[in-house]
Amino acid sequence: MSSAILFKDIDEPGLGTLAVYQRRGGYGDVLRKGLSMPREALVNELVESGLRGRGGAGFSMGKKASFMPKGGMDKYLVCNADESEPGTFKDRELMTKSPHMLIEGMILAAYAAGATKSFIYIRGEYAQQADILDAAVAEAYADGLLGENILGFDFSLELVVHRGAGAYICGEETGLLDSLEGKRGNPRLKPPFPANQGLYQGPTLINNVETLMTIPHILGMGAAKYAEIGVENSTGTKLISVSGHVKRPGNYEIELGMSAREIIYGLCGGIEGDHEVKLWFPGGSSSPVLTSDDLDLGYDFDSLAKAGSMLGSGAIIVVDDQTSVVEVCLKLAKFYRHESCGKCTPCREGTQWTVKMLERMKSGTATPMDLDIMASVQEQITGHCLCVLGDAMAMPVGSMIAKFRPEFEEYIEAARERAERELVASLDAGLVGSAT
Amino acid sequence: MPRPERKLITFSIDGREVEAPANMMLVDAAKFGDVEIPVFCYEPKLGAPVGACRMCLVDIEGIPKLQTGCSTPVKDGMVVHTQTRRVKDAQQSVVEFLLINHPLDCPVCDKGGECPLQDVSFGWGGGMTRFVEPKRHFKKPLELSPLIAIDRERCILCYRCVRFSQELSEDYQLVLHERSAATFVGTFDGHPYVAPFSGNILELCPVGALTSMPYRFRARPWDIENAGSVCTLCPAQCNVAFTVRDDRVLRVLARENEEVDDGWLCDKGRFAYQSIHAEERVVAPMVREDGVLREVTWERALEAAKAALGGAQGRIAGLAGGETTNEEGFLLQRLVRDVHGSPHVDSGAGLDRSGLLALGDPGLQATVADLEFAHTVLVLGTEPVDDAPILDLRLRKGVRRNRVKLAVATSRPSSLDPNATLAVRYAPGAEAAFVTALSAAFYGGAVDEPAQAAGADAGAVHELATLLRTSGGDQPGDVVVLYGQRVLAEGEAVTAPLLKLAGALGLSGRPGAGLLGVPTATNGRGLREAGVLPDAGPGLTAVPSAGHGATGIAEATAAGELSVLYLLHTDPLRDEPQRAVWERALEAATHVIAHAGFLTETIREHATVVFPAESYAEKEGTLVHPDGRLQRLRPAIGRPAGVRAAWQVLDELARSAGAEHGVHTVHSATQQLFAAVAFYAGLSVDAIGAKGVRWWEDDARAAAWPQESGLRAAISDLVAKTPLSRTPDYEEAPTPSGLGAADGATNGALRLGTYQSIWAAAEVEASPALKFLHPHQRVELSPADAARLGIEHGEHVTVGSAGATVEAVAHLRNESPAGSAFLQSGIPEDAANVLQGPLVEIRKATPK
Ligand SMILES: Cc1cc2nc3c(=O)[nH]c(=O)nc-3n(C[C@H](O)[C@H](O)[C@H](O)COP(=O)(O)O)c2cc1C
Ligand code: SF4
Ligand code: SF4
Ligand code: SF4
Ligand code: FES
Repeated sequence: MSSAILFKDIDEPGLGTLAVYQRRGGYGDVLRKGLSMPREALVNELVESGLRGRGGAGFSMGKKASFMPKGGMDKYLVCNADESEPGTFKDRELMTKSPHMLIEGMILAAYAAGATKSFIYIRGEYAQQADILDAAVAEAYADGLLGENILGFDFSLELVVHRGAGAYICGEETGLLDSLEGKRGNPRLKPPFPANQGLYQGPTLINNVETLMTIPHILGMGAAKYAEIGVENSTGTKLISVSGHVKRPGNYEIELGMSAREIIYGLCGGIEGDHEVKLWFPGGSSSPVLTSDDLDLGYDFDSLAKAGSMLGSGAIIVVDDQTSVVEVCLKLAKFYRHESCGKCTPCREGTQWTVKMLERMKSGTATPMDLDIMASVQEQITGHCLCVLGDAMAMPVGSMIAKFRPEFEEYIEAARERAERELVASLDAGLVGSAT
Repeated sequence: MPRPERKLITFSIDGREVEAPANMMLVDAAKFGDVEIPVFCYEPKLGAPVGACRMCLVDIEGIPKLQTGCSTPVKDGMVVHTQTRRVKDAQQSVVEFLLINHPLDCPVCDKGGECPLQDVSFGWGGGMTRFVEPKRHFKKPLELSPLIAIDRERCILCYRCVRFSQELSEDYQLVLHERSAATFVGTFDGHPYVAPFSGNILELCPVGALTSMPYRFRARPWDIENAGSVCTLCPAQCNVAFTVRDDRVLRVLARENEEVDDGWLCDKGRFAYQSIHAEERVVAPMVREDGVLREVTWERALEAAKAALGGAQGRIAGLAGGETTNEEGFLLQRLVRDVHGSPHVDSGAGLDRSGLLALGDPGLQATVADLEFAHTVLVLGTEPVDDAPILDLRLRKGVRRNRVKLAVATSRPSSLDPNATLAVRYAPGAEAAFVTALSAAFYGGAVDEPAQAAGADAGAVHELATLLRTSGGDQPGDVVVLYGQRVLAEGEAVTAPLLKLAGALGLSGRPGAGLLGVPTATNGRGLREAGVLPDAGPGLTAVPSAGHGATGIAEATAAGELSVLYLLHTDPLRDEPQRAVWERALEAATHVIAHAGFLTETIREHATVVFPAESYAEKEGTLVHPDGRLQRLRPAIGRPAGVRAAWQVLDELARSAGAEHGVHTVHSATQQLFAAVAFYAGLSVDAIGAKGVRWWEDDARAAAWPQESGLRAAISDLVAKTPLSRTPDYEEAPTPSGLGAADGATNGALRLGTYQSIWAAAEVEASPALKFLHPHQRVELSPADAARLGIEHGEHVTVGSAGATVEAVAHLRNESPAGSAFLQSGIPEDAANVLQGPLVEIRKATPK
């Protein structure tokens, strides 16, 4: 893969150790260059690189760093390693194999943001990765790469690895901050935005693992060079996690703008059993679904947005034509019902109502009218909640109803008939008592 | 932190141009345009909005998504719509979502008829549901505490109760368990939610999820009337509304008065109304015959009292308790002083006239609201949650929201310590030495000696002085000193350094700063101003010859110099600090005339005439809040048939002794009082109204404060000057002869400190719902002392001094300072006032 940046050395044995990482050029000239630049210049580099957040929202990394206020107050950098979006597993591989790249990225981001305390909030289930990070952080401290006066520069940084307790909502940046502060992980009202009042009320920069790990490479090759990769508004490479009915699921690094068809049929070898694509989630389970008609779209922020979906976390979930859309919908809705923090009425009630309706569709006690109700419930959730978790269910569910309505109707009918048949059969068999 | 200034802006709501204060949340600003935006979770009293319920969505031009009006500050030129299809759809959606899992058991729900969920559903809901699935179920109702029932099916998860517990009362007990639709409210480990302010969540809950155990199923909103008055159970004097059905008080709600209570109540104020209708209440006059109190007619009781007073030839004394109104106190002092010619009248002020004049100087007064906006508050020798509970919430609010710096200086560890920038300890009873040390730290005097005498760390005293001195940056900011009356026990030895401190901090005449004294009695301030003092008459005017104060009265009575005691709403065996002398006095008195609601020990054992007292829900009159606010008590219910108002009785007794004062209604007494007190000039009950009036805020009234105090003259220039530039030319008062803290340890004895729990009150004892909170004596001591004495936590011990002992349970507190032991006062048995102190010995109790 010629485009590999993050994955360039990823399978180098022992890359997770400081020695190998340094041998590969880590913590070297790039870091020195970054720390000797004025802060503003570093932030400018990041802006110019066009790097957009890899965690889901796709906001310009450099701009976000530039929102950090000046001044002597305590400022924080937080790495979002909660990676809980269904279908997403790129940060896991990155952290497993190259923890020091994350640390180096964080040193540079913290320097750019003026932060002196930093945290990696990692999902609780990533125990192995947390152990790896702990070991790497200890190595970095021992080598003077964290702590006081890094590499002798007038810059100091503390880094703490914090393990979450297994809640998707703690990946939402403000829920993450509350959880990190030891509170219940509930999203906060915005404004204030974390850059103004984040962790412990202090200015806070929050970025995804991949976003942060890209920084040393941008600095290494220069922002202008980085910006040449990819397409307009979607510069650079992106790690994508492909899962579902493809022959070769896994993480791939692509140049942004590659077509979805190339990814699914090229990189991933096509659909298992050589079936057809029924639908695909382009950016994690929270993105509205696309169909086989959309396979020629370029995989970049703007193209996917134009098609009514989003690049999200870069997780492509492919569903073949052998799979019922209703089952996909139910599985998805159950996830969001379980993960809603419960704060906002529409999200809390709407997710569980949706699940109940889908379960009735499955058990054969629904009518097509329920489909209208379900569609309207999705509309009632969308845009009415504090964070976007509610939307994250409502939009894909809504898109599935819109795009596969006939299949839903058939499914409902079929389930009803099946239920009736079963009822009649059990009556015939005397399993259900008759009136006499 | 100074109060924020308000600026007006113009915005448009539903097509109307409206003026509203800038940055006010839209839901409030909308009201300026007569637009109501429905809310559930929004409650500004709870601090910053949470935006959970999503009921308040509005459409703001220029913002694509609907916004929550509860969390969006209004800006100049904003264009807001609340009536568009989009907004209405959103509102209907939220109502539908809220109701899909709601049991809608309104017919059996206590909230029915006064339920925001009903109102909002009716006003903004779609009127139908499309939800056909089974609803969510919880076990219900459950006891959240003995006072509060929780019905989790009705809960709409608005977060209010949890926020109250976490961010207001900071008892940190209520949490949300689980998440998503399975979320429910509870305490962390399922223990009962017992806390001094727990009942506030009943009023906060916008649905019938939290209901009052004592009120459950007692009435419907259309059965009841609400009557506004004031709670007289402690000096905080919160404004309340009594819920009355058929002349019975069934509930007490907060009647929000930002200047007094911020709309909160403590659980004593909220639930002790049950005492009003308690079986054991005295509702008929009684006279002691053959050693036994018997119910008699009013004529007989009045005759007996007249005879006793008439036969005493002036050897009488009057004592007024905390719940006495200004009018009652005024009439009592007139009866004792003017009618019977005795100077012996007191209300337990514990300080002489000159001290009261100096500390009460209008220029030095701080208000309750100042606690919230000061730069620094020094809590000196008082535990607000016990002494004036609602102030505890105010202090927490100031620290949490306005970053007020809190300093705590007490002998007993305070529940506010965790919120304090600095907490300093001194030995019990060493207030004079401590305040002397603190004041010396300002004036460059000797700090070490008095600090050592106070058992305080000299370094900490300096640190405290620095904190107070620098809170406003490089100069002292607005400092409020909240002190307990107990601090003043040593009189001038404390008031002098305290006033010097006030001078050093420039408190005089400085708005937002000053002194705020918490009296031990509810209406302590009012009674002083009404002249219920041995050395001052109404308006703190000088009297020709001073009488005895409370303890002096007891001593004189014990010695046979006085023969008749007139007790107005007080039980000295419980309320007074020295029980032994009062036992002798009550034994020796020929007559004890008492106005009482309950037959507490003094009344039961010693009263010869008992007049049944009105309950506070029946009373009419005025009170003075510790910050000088005159407040009006208005009767909510009729008196029981056998009860007469105390003012009537006092006037009747005066009249029968030949003094016709023309007191025909309680308001004539009020008028006479206001006429007699120069600094109340021009006030009337109408002016006081429902929210009260701080008399000293009027310049003419403030100027009428008596000026001739000797002490005041001595310190006035000190207070007036900006003394931080002063060179230390001031000679410190000699170190008070307080015991050094270490002295106690020599023979294993400990210094005795006392405190009165919020729950130590006759009204609490008479309220069945609060029975589980009755305090039993316990002695708090440090683990180090306990180890030395071989005493373990929870062990039964006896605490003794000078032959007297009380039984207590040992309570080891890590924060407790070594060398001190703390006992409760104000409880019916084994109270601290049995012991003389200052040193006590603690022994394991011999098993019975
Ligand atoms: C429900 C929810 C879950 C999220 N989970 C994650 C996550 O696991 N990892 C992540 O990086 N961002 C997650 N995000 C996005 C973050 O809120 C935030 O936008 C991101 O961490 C910013 O980093 P970036 O700018 O580098 O992308 C989530 C957002 C929402 C609403
Ligand atoms: S949208 Fe859902 S997950 Fe997000 S804050 Fe609201 S209830 Fe919680
Ligand atoms: S119990 Fe009442 S106050 Fe508490 S969250 Fe539920 S509805 Fe709100
Ligand atoms: S704080 Fe005092 S005045 Fe207020 S409710 Fe409680 S007892 Fe009554
Ligand atoms: S009142 Fe605004 S979200 Fe609840």
